[in-house]
Amino acid sequence: MRKKARKDFRLHLLVCAGTGCAANGSFIIKDALEKEIVKQGLEDEIAVITTDCQGFCERGPIVIVQPDGIFYHRIKKEDVPHLVEEHLFKGRPVKSMMFVPSPEEPAIPRLMDIGFFKHQRLIVLRHRGRLDPENIEEYIGFEGYSSLEKALTRMTPPEIIKEIKASGLRGRGGAGFPTGVKWELCRTSPGKKKYIVCNGDEGDPGAFMDRSVLESDPHTVIEGMLIGARAIGAHKGYIYVRSEYPLAVKKLLIALRQAEEYGLLGENILGTNFSFTIDVVQGAGAFVCGEETALLASIEGKVGRPRPRPPYPAEKGLWGRPTNINNVETWANVPVIIARGALWFSSIGTKRSKGTKIFSLVGKINNTGLVEVPMGITLGQIIYDIGGGIPDGKEFKAVQTGGPSGGCIPRELLDLPIDYEGLSKAGSMMGSGGMIVMDEDTCMVDVARYFLNFTQEESCGKCPSCRLGTKQMVHILNRICEGTGGEHDIAFLEEVGRSVKLASLCGLGQTASNPVLTTIKYFREEYLAHIREKRCPALVCKSLISYIIDPQTCSGCTVCAKNCPSAAISGEAKKIHTIDQTKCTKCGICLSVCPPKFKAVKKTSPAVQ
Amino acid sequence: MMTLTINKKKVRAKKGETVLEVAQREGIYVPKLCYLKGVTPYGGCRLCLVKVKGWEKPVTSCTLLVEDGMVVETETPLLKRLRRFSLQLILSEHPHACLVCEKRIECADYQECIQKTAITSGCKFCARNGNCELQELIDYLKIEEIPFSFKYRNMEIEKCDPFFERDYNLCILCGRCIRACQEIREAGTLDFHHRGPETMVGTAYGLPHLESGCQFCGACVDVCPTGALRERYSKWEGVPEKSVQSTCLLCNIGCSIDLKINDKKLINTTPTHEQICVRGRFGIAPLVYHPKRITQPLLKKGDRLVQVEWKEALAYVAETLKAYTGKTGILFTPQMPVKAIDSIYALARHLKSTIAAPLALDAVVRPFDVKKFERGSVILIVNTDMVSDFAPVLLHARKHSKMQHRIIVIDAVKSRVAEMADLWLQPRPGKESDLVRTLFAGGRIGKSVGVSQEDYTSCRDAVKEGPVYLLFNADNMKGMKLPKRVSVLPLASSINTLKILEMGTDDSAERVLKDKSVDCLYTIGVAPRLDRKYKRLIVQDSFPPSFDFDLFLPAASFVEIDGTVVNINGKIKRLHKATEPLGNSRPDLWIIKEIGKALNCDLTKRTIRRKRRGKKSQLRKITVTKKYPLYLIVRKNSFVYRGHMLSALMKGFERLRYDNRIWINSATARKLKIADGADVRVIGQAIDLTLPARITDHVPPDSALIYAHPSLAISGDQSVRIECIKS
Repeated sequence: MRKKARKDFRLHLLVCAGTGCAANGSFIIKDALEKEIVKQGLEDEIAVITTDCQGFCERGPIVIVQPDGIFYHRIKKEDVPHLVEEHLFKGRPVKSMMFVPSPEEPAIPRLMDIGFFKHQRLIVLRHRGRLDPENIEEYIGFEGYSSLEKALTRMTPPEIIKEIKASGLRGRGGAGFPTGVKWELCRTSPGKKKYIVCNGDEGDPGAFMDRSVLESDPHTVIEGMLIGARAIGAHKGYIYVRSEYPLAVKKLLIALRQAEEYGLLGENILGTNFSFTIDVVQGAGAFVCGEETALLASIEGKVGRPRPRPPYPAEKGLWGRPTNINNVETWANVPVIIARGALWFSSIGTKRSKGTKIFSLVGKINNTGLVEVPMGITLGQIIYDIGGGIPDGKEFKAVQTGGPSGGCIPRELLDLPIDYEGLSKAGSMMGSGGMIVMDEDTCMVDVARYFLNFTQEESCGKCPSCRLGTKQMVHILNRICEGTGGEHDIAFLEEVGRSVKLASLCGLGQTASNPVLTTIKYFREEYLAHIREKRCPALVCKSLISYIIDPQTCSGCTVCAKNCPSAAISGEAKKIHTIDQTKCTKCGICLSVCPPKFKAVKKTSPAVQ
Repeated sequence: MMTLTINKKKVRAKKGETVLEVAQREGIYVPKLCYLKGVTPYGGCRLCLVKVKGWEKPVTSCTLLVEDGMVVETETPLLKRLRRFSLQLILSEHPHACLVCEKRIECADYQECIQKTAITSGCKFCARNGNCELQELIDYLKIEEIPFSFKYRNMEIEKCDPFFERDYNLCILCGRCIRACQEIREAGTLDFHHRGPETMVGTAYGLPHLESGCQFCGACVDVCPTGALRERYSKWEGVPEKSVQSTCLLCNIGCSIDLKINDKKLINTTPTHEQICVRGRFGIAPLVYHPKRITQPLLKKGDRLVQVEWKEALAYVAETLKAYTGKTGILFTPQMPVKAIDSIYALARHLKSTIAAPLALDAVVRPFDVKKFERGSVILIVNTDMVSDFAPVLLHARKHSKMQHRIIVIDAVKSRVAEMADLWLQPRPGKESDLVRTLFAGGRIGKSVGVSQEDYTSCRDAVKEGPVYLLFNADNMKGMKLPKRVSVLPLASSINTLKILEMGTDDSAERVLKDKSVDCLYTIGVAPRLDRKYKRLIVQDSFPPSFDFDLFLPAASFVEIDGTVVNINGKIKRLHKATEPLGNSRPDLWIIKEIGKALNCDLTKRTIRRKRRGKKSQLRKITVTKKYPLYLIVRKNSFVYRGHMLSALMKGFERLRYDNRIWINSATARKLKIADGADVRVIGQAIDLTLPARITDHVPPDSALIYAHPSLAISGDQSVRIECIKS
């Protein structure tokens, strides 16, 4: 209905209401826009519509003016009258609110010309910014549920599996197991009752792919699960979402209710003998519950603790029955494959990794956000063409893929095409799609320590290798960061890291040491600098840095001395100040308050012989 | 059958077996810590890793099911390295100064170490020293150093509960106790809490075990590979030298137990192959070496008790019994070997004395094997908290959900078993037998019973056909007519009950005590309350009775004798002598035989079975009056040894059961202004007692509950009034 209504307006203002933009105040902007439009008497010509996540979260709040596709970002409330008057009333797009890639370049008015959007290939996120996730009719309007209809009426379950197998779709949760094979295993597993599960327990810090898909296009996931259920012969599905995603849960519940009302869930779907229902289960936020056996235990109401495989969930899953579990993104790929065919899907990507992959591009990068790229694209393309490079002209240092237990990939491997095998060969992994970019100010030892601390805390506590092995590695890394490490520590870290990989039960332990092993592999000299010279080249490790005042440039303005919380700075006005290193707590306040015209306070990490 | 290769050896295996089980059977040693036979494999310790041909990563053999043609290797350099790695990590959280000490072998020999290792770092002060699975594994994996930094958890040792204590600083998180608690005992007291490096074993909300529903079966203690869980009593008794299989006499089930002996002393008792309860696990050794136990014959000379030799004591007995022929009453405990019971009957016949065993029952008994309930049967539990009293039987009743048993509880008192039952009918106190009778006789249930028609009907439908097992603890089940398909067991009776029913008792203990013609009382392991004076009192027991006596004959405990007993299934169980009788005590049979010898009486002659005298016992109707406004429920106590309540002898049982108190409904207690633990006077038509009170909601309103015991001299339910005498 709304779709019909849309045609009656001259312009549509699409205000992004994804979590990122909403947090940046997009609803305030929406209200302001509506008020201003009424004020200008344009309410019959212009409609303001909220949409789901656009992916370019860093630039929120985002407003897109359709049908021209003019992209406005970082809109403030006080900009609204100007925008309405200039663009909507007078028809002159406002340059000052448009996207500017770099100071030297001109502003880009149209969304599709912005590098961030231009290089993406949208399959899973195909409805991005185009539909209201709370209205099933909009999804149906974009040919939603037609794949289900095809799968139910024109395909047999083996045909569906054959299609998925032929498409080359692999699990998007990280391990990359061929989805079609998984389905077939579950289908052929004996048992009348079967379950399917959607894994939406996205626990990686800085990752929000699943959340975005569930929030902005829940019906794609539901449709994928329906097709999967038909293929496998399951009668019941569960979507496991972390309770930290309240918006995703809310939208999912709305979508499920609407699907039920439309006869797309429940008994005899679309008049066939196929019946299927879905429940949403909220996880309590344990990282390890993203591991499939732990997730299943959690759904059963038990403690989320992985169990050994075999038996695989396809043989004995939920309540001992065959269960197929796939990631949110995997499920979201299914309707497209059924609609457009395996041949089309497998034409995208590399030899062994087909289709696209969503990454949440975060860290020291200009264009933070959610990107969907075809497999085979290089890391460099993502970081520079889509991500727009590193802010403030800093040097790129490394990119970490695959969440906290992924590896850090250095500059030399920027030409690495992204696929499952390529990333694991580099010591990292695809993971669920986190991508953290680091610049020259990042200390790699500190990064390894940070991620290991995370996995150490999130270990379920079952295997000694993971529970205690990671802890011991954190001890050693702490030692190195404090400048008390020995040279043998590097070899010891490597040995422990490799053993933890082999001796642990589940994926968490088996990958936990990746950040350490890759940073040692690619950034050994940084470790050596910490150990041999007691120096942190990136000036991060507190124990190894010191703040000094350059006597050449200090003018004795006393600002630093006044602001020092530990009274470590002495010196009279108009005379050179000095920092007493024994009193200094290395808080860095002096550095931040030193007037830019002097730049007298400096952070150093001198080599100690 | 399938074939697989383990370490180049072809072995055969059945489907569903794990590689570890097959390897163990074939004599191939695979180290392990978290594996526990009979429970779900955990795969947590990572020591049983093996290499399977074609598999990329090593896999835990305890969780790996065999497949035909599998090629397994258990000892590759990589596996050895990973095992050492895992164990070293485990030891980074377990005090290990002594474990990896190069002098530890000499140290063990001389029991001395110049390096001072404290309780927090070494093995010297660990209860499991010498009997520890970590020590074995360190030898096997040849670990000489721990390259990791050590962390002592610094957790307080949990000593708040009776019977066993917990030092989670030694815990290696293998989860065996948890699985034993959850899967073997279905108790669910223990589980992991927290996660990651904070993971620890414990109860819900960290409550003491006493408050978290633990029944102290000790299954967790028995499976702990380290010294984290340790029995209090035997903590410092060392590693047992030998084990003697015997039978527990503390209830009528007669579980097989292993008596663990060290230095000619019983140190503790453990289950032989099946599960036992707190009595058999923690109650026996403390009973044998109880400080109150008397181990010398004592004779009253003038006002004083004097230690005498057996010769003098026996001469005194013979003389007295001869003098009081026809005027002697004998009370004996069924908790002694069958032969001793036979002999005491013969002696009684010779002396023409009346004889009774106070704990024997006058009831319908149709014995069955309590470990084999027929498939799809109904288990009707009347007036017994099976969870606390007969947990091993309940385990068999619950064991296989496939067996489709239904558990129905009829009890006025709320109990743990009532809470877990499929159906719980809660009649008014005293109406249980009426309810059972109507259940099988048919007809409508009266309103006075206090059970809804709906519950009653569903219960009646359940017991309508098929096998029914009636397990009860009630006096007024007497003379009840029940269909043939109903098997009946009086659970709270004593061991040898079937034997005594077969012999036929002359009289109830009450009658013997009331018999005016009895001038001399000879009690064997019975400590009744005496309301009148006797001319002579001879006591044969292990513990002193509450009354004055003329002669005390110290009897040996059941771990110090050989013999046989009959359990409630009618099965003959053996007692084996594990240690010499303590001090100058002697087996009951020996004492009775010696008395027989002195009296020139042939005790080997079997007594002719006598028909039970007496009329059909009438059901007493209990009416609550203004004078006696409370209904007193009297239950048989099944935690009794030779007439002494276990709670009176051991503090732990008292804390666990509160069975030496009178249980009063909390609303009633509020009305009467009685506080928990306050001493109250219980006055009835026939009784006047002073007991501490326990305020509880388990007892229905306007009623109270007492666990009957000979020393209280209460025979059955009655109406009473309660007065608070001291708060």
